[in-house]
Amino acid sequence: MIERLKHHWPVRSRREFFTSAGSGLAGLALSSMMAEAAPRKGDLLAAHAPHHVAKAKSIIFLFMEGGPSHIDLFDPKPKLKELHGQPMPASYGKLITAMGTANNSIMASQREFKQHGQSGLWVSDWYPHIAKHADELAVLRSCWANGLNHVGSVCQMNTGDILAGRPSLGAWTTYGLGTANRNLPSFVVMQDDKEPLGGTKNWSAGFLPATYQGTQFRTGDTPILNLKPAGGSTSDQQLSKLSYLKQLNARFGEGKTEDSDLDARVRSFELAYEMQAAGPEAVDLTKESEATKKLYGMDDPATLNYGRNCLQARRLVERGVRFVELYCGSGSGWDAHQNIEANHAKWCRASDKPIAGLLTDLKARGLLDETLIVWGGEFGRTPFNEKGDGRDHNPWGFTMFFAGAGIKPGQAVGTTDEIGLRAVERPAHVHDIHATMLHLLGMDHIQLTYMHNGRAERPTIVGGSVIKELLA
Amino acid sequence: MKLGWQVTTILAGGLGVLAATAAEGERKEFTATQKRWWAIQPVTAQTPPSTSVSRIDAFVHAKLQAKGISPNAPADKVTLLRRATLDLTGLLPTPEEAQAFLGDQSPNAFEKVIDRLLASPRYGERWGRHWLDLARYADSEGFKADETRPNVWRYRDYVIKSFNDDKPYDRFVQEQLAGDEMFPNDSEALVATGFNRHFPDEYNARNLYQRRQELLNDITDVVGSTFMGLTFGCARCHDHKFDPILHKDYYRLQSFFSGLHIDDSAVLVPDQARRDYQAQLKIWEQATTEVRQEIATLLKPQREFRVKDNLDKFPEEIQASVSQVAAKRTPMQWQMYYKAMPQLTFDDREVAKGLKGETKAAYLKLEAKLRTFDHLKPADLPVAQTMVEDAAAVAKTHVLRGGAYDAVEAEVQPGFLSILDPSDVQIPAAIPGKSGRRTVLAKWLTNPENPLTARVMVNRVWHYHFGRGLVGTPSDFGLMGERPSHRELLDDLTYRFVRGGWSIKQLHREIMLSGTYQQSSDHTEAAAKADPDNKLLWRYNRRRLEGESIRDSMLAASGLLNTKMTGPGVFPPLPAGVETRGGWKSNESLEEARRRSIYIFVRRNTRYPMFEAFDMPDTHESCSRRNQTVTPSQALELMNSELVLDWSKGLAGRVLNDAGLSRDAMVDRAYRLVYSRAATEEEKRMAGEFFTRHQPILAARPGPLTVPDRLPEGIKPIEAAVLVDLCHALFNSNEFLYIN
Repeated sequence: MIERLKHHWPVRSRREFFTSAGSGLAGLALSSMMAEAAPRKGDLLAAHAPHHVAKAKSIIFLFMEGGPSHIDLFDPKPKLKELHGQPMPASYGKLITAMGTANNSIMASQREFKQHGQSGLWVSDWYPHIAKHADELAVLRSCWANGLNHVGSVCQMNTGDILAGRPSLGAWTTYGLGTANRNLPSFVVMQDDKEPLGGTKNWSAGFLPATYQGTQFRTGDTPILNLKPAGGSTSDQQLSKLSYLKQLNARFGEGKTEDSDLDARVRSFELAYEMQAAGPEAVDLTKESEATKKLYGMDDPATLNYGRNCLQARRLVERGVRFVELYCGSGSGWDAHQNIEANHAKWCRASDKPIAGLLTDLKARGLLDETLIVWGGEFGRTPFNEKGDGRDHNPWGFTMFFAGAGIKPGQAVGTTDEIGLRAVERPAHVHDIHATMLHLLGMDHIQLTYMHNGRAERPTIVGGSVIKELLA
Repeated sequence: MKLGWQVTTILAGGLGVLAATAAEGERKEFTATQKRWWAIQPVTAQTPPSTSVSRIDAFVHAKLQAKGISPNAPADKVTLLRRATLDLTGLLPTPEEAQAFLGDQSPNAFEKVIDRLLASPRYGERWGRHWLDLARYADSEGFKADETRPNVWRYRDYVIKSFNDDKPYDRFVQEQLAGDEMFPNDSEALVATGFNRHFPDEYNARNLYQRRQELLNDITDVVGSTFMGLTFGCARCHDHKFDPILHKDYYRLQSFFSGLHIDDSAVLVPDQARRDYQAQLKIWEQATTEVRQEIATLLKPQREFRVKDNLDKFPEEIQASVSQVAAKRTPMQWQMYYKAMPQLTFDDREVAKGLKGETKAAYLKLEAKLRTFDHLKPADLPVAQTMVEDAAAVAKTHVLRGGAYDAVEAEVQPGFLSILDPSDVQIPAAIPGKSGRRTVLAKWLTNPENPLTARVMVNRVWHYHFGRGLVGTPSDFGLMGERPSHRELLDDLTYRFVRGGWSIKQLHREIMLSGTYQQSSDHTEAAAKADPDNKLLWRYNRRRLEGESIRDSMLAASGLLNTKMTGPGVFPPLPAGVETRGGWKSNESLEEARRRSIYIFVRRNTRYPMFEAFDMPDTHESCSRRNQTVTPSQALELMNSELVLDWSKGLAGRVLNDAGLSRDAMVDRAYRLVYSRAATEEEKRMAGEFFTRHQPILAARPGPLTVPDRLPEGIKPIEAAVLVDLCHALFNSNEFLYIN
């Protein structure tokens, strides 16, 4: 009961506290680990001390959009072979599914599962490269979520709620910790195909100030909107104009030095100017060796897109970006309502080598210890068929995997039932997953609050507990 | 009808504990502190502490004096004119307006300005936008497909018109909550019911019980916060932890809305026009009977397949709701029917998409034949997207455990806050087809004795004028919100607002004619020490323009603004690289793309990028207070976007046209257009230096220069290009971006 009431505590957010308290207290907010210029009143991106020692400096969230089939990838279910072609046993109860398929017959996996590495983790033949990293993975087989449809479920995996309007996890992260590199956005989103369902709602700042929203990086040399001056302006021209602007602002600012907002605006132009160089540099892969590009699969058209995004993600976390979200199959690519064999073969291929390359590369550079990798979709897929050779949405039980900073590797946590329909042992709700991710970043999901419409809102709404079994 | 506030008076008078008795006999007692909650006490007549100044100033000065603070001196005339013009219209004053005001030495010069601004149609476009924030207005559905709501813009126009007409606020509330019931023959009131239709929605949801509950929650939350300033949402799962709002009060409020359903084809013309339409339609129908019959036969198998395919995806109970004969449908079955039917209704063209080969060819032929009768077909009638009631669909309302749609507890009847009135309300008979529930709610809210409705609105108006309300949390008058800084003043304004006919324009006048509004925003060390947050109003609060005002003012200053009003949302081109699902068909006409911001289509999943950067709310829930951030992405938008450069070009062109070839004259004109004042000698010198420094830089750069579209004779392109950059800098500067 206590757990459910915690969002009511009238705790003032740390942010409100430090901005309303005097400058003396504001100094305390400085983290030694991320120290830079002292935070100023109204400076929403100043670095903040975490609640506890952080294991991860950054998160790379590999979002398999559309819902990858756990029972064809990480959660082998021999029982399905036995029941293949039969209706789901009545003991599993009545279900409402997205496509009304609950009365369809059970469909066994056509994949071959093997145990890998010292840990003997099960991985199917759809992920041969990732399987080589089995001893670095913690596979969570008992995830569950609330939404039946994509847009609500993608939204929940990002924001905690199936209804749009709340801040996404990346926004909470920036709100809680501030930024570690002012020349780059702290929360970056990339897609490999179409726009993710629900679009910007998934990296929205919700009711938090817009500063915290994710920035969608586009392919090409200007990853951020408006990064290049219109009209072919040269750098000299821009500097000359900015210097005139500074004069104008100085005149207006006379006698108004107490107004930190005016000062912050002057500085925002300087930051924007810096970003113009830092943004393109961060995603400039010409400085990467051919061997590195190959490691990520950039030499193969099938793996080029996601490989490039994974490599860029490494460059971004190297530069202090805290939260990178890489959609794979963006626009619901993994949504295999029919012909799951062809569908998943394509997206598994597209993501397998790039992700394996990312793990290898991060490890070689000593970055895996401070970067948390999270793999998963908005839900899994049903054990019964749809249209004979596809599978419907399954939010009741599915798999995600974790690797890197603070994770106890080489283990599977939690189980689903015999047919992979529902989470059974150690069920892990989306809120638990979010609480765990924030925990590894040094934040307590209950203390991380923001006053909104009379409630001390938090990322996990009214739920969530850290999944201790995943932690090293 | 028993009135809630009479109960309050008794409670506040401390005459014993009144318990709210729930249907199941549970007793709930409110504490003495809860009963003393300021916001539910009656609004009483006030006597200002002094009569030598305006009533507002008397209340404000009394508080300042008690703290030993002096209010600021009046702002200078230019500042005042900019403040009032931006505040009421969201646009800059023109140089001519500035000159006229500076030249007007009469004592009521500012009053004349206020009256001029309040009479301008630009006023409704500014204040209507505030209301749209509260109404979570958008032109699209949200969720995955984010489809267009093709006629929802009529609600936006209704709001603009209502503000421009100074529609009494009580009537404004009644129309939006119960227009279909209270004013059945008034098409404006029908459009107004769109207020409750602005929830994000997923048309292809399968679990319609859950979806319906989510919509009702949205309506309950938004009605509670917008009209009552209360965080009802906190009582969805349990009793409110801080305010005396019971768990069941949430559902008592919700039950007023339980018979609502979407009607997206509410016809808006008088009976005669409707009859004419029907008559003409009949002629078309008679002429096309045969061909339509052929089409129907041809499409039948495919249509049946489509319907069955979608129907099968629903849970059995919903399928039963659809197949049940109308006479036997229960209210909840009607609710499910209304929600399901859009998924089971396909027009011919939609069905024909599934045809192949010969059948397809046959269909196309028939369709072509049908089109030859188009000249007989009457033009479509104007329709609105509304949220109206069907008395047959008033489903029971239950308290829901933990807010879960299927965790049903005790049934409740419509009722108000239990602390005000614990009884179930009596619902008098209504017009045929309506239950009368919302009429009761709307009348209760707009009863002159209601302690919340008018207080909340008066405070909102104050909030938008000063950047902060007398209650700092305009949609939370509860205990977690802020206490009023000037309770007597709020009551004084509210009391007279209601008795003066709920006129918002009258309220603007009174506020803006006060010394409190007209004082400067200057900083004073001593006052800042005593009251750092300016809660006591010793200065005017300097604040940034909202995104819409930035855009509209740039367009207006550069002479490019198209002031055309009303109609469907417009689609100015999006910057390259911004994707949208649901579509954004950019306007081919530059004229259309340069209309005021309030007419820009609001796509829920893709806010217009410039507005998003400048804190436009996200439209998924009601927003009473916008953020005021300072971010590098705003700076990138201002200094790098095509749009701002384009408007800078426009401004430079206008300046050249007006000022001729002298640099000093150009600079002066640019200052007058953007800052509403003359440039000083020092500023002309500064600009002169910029010309000198910038010209060789532009001469050395590759590529064509950015110059105004039409150059007056005698001007060198390079000189014009420098002027474009100078104008660009003015548009990026704080003097432009802030209301001082």
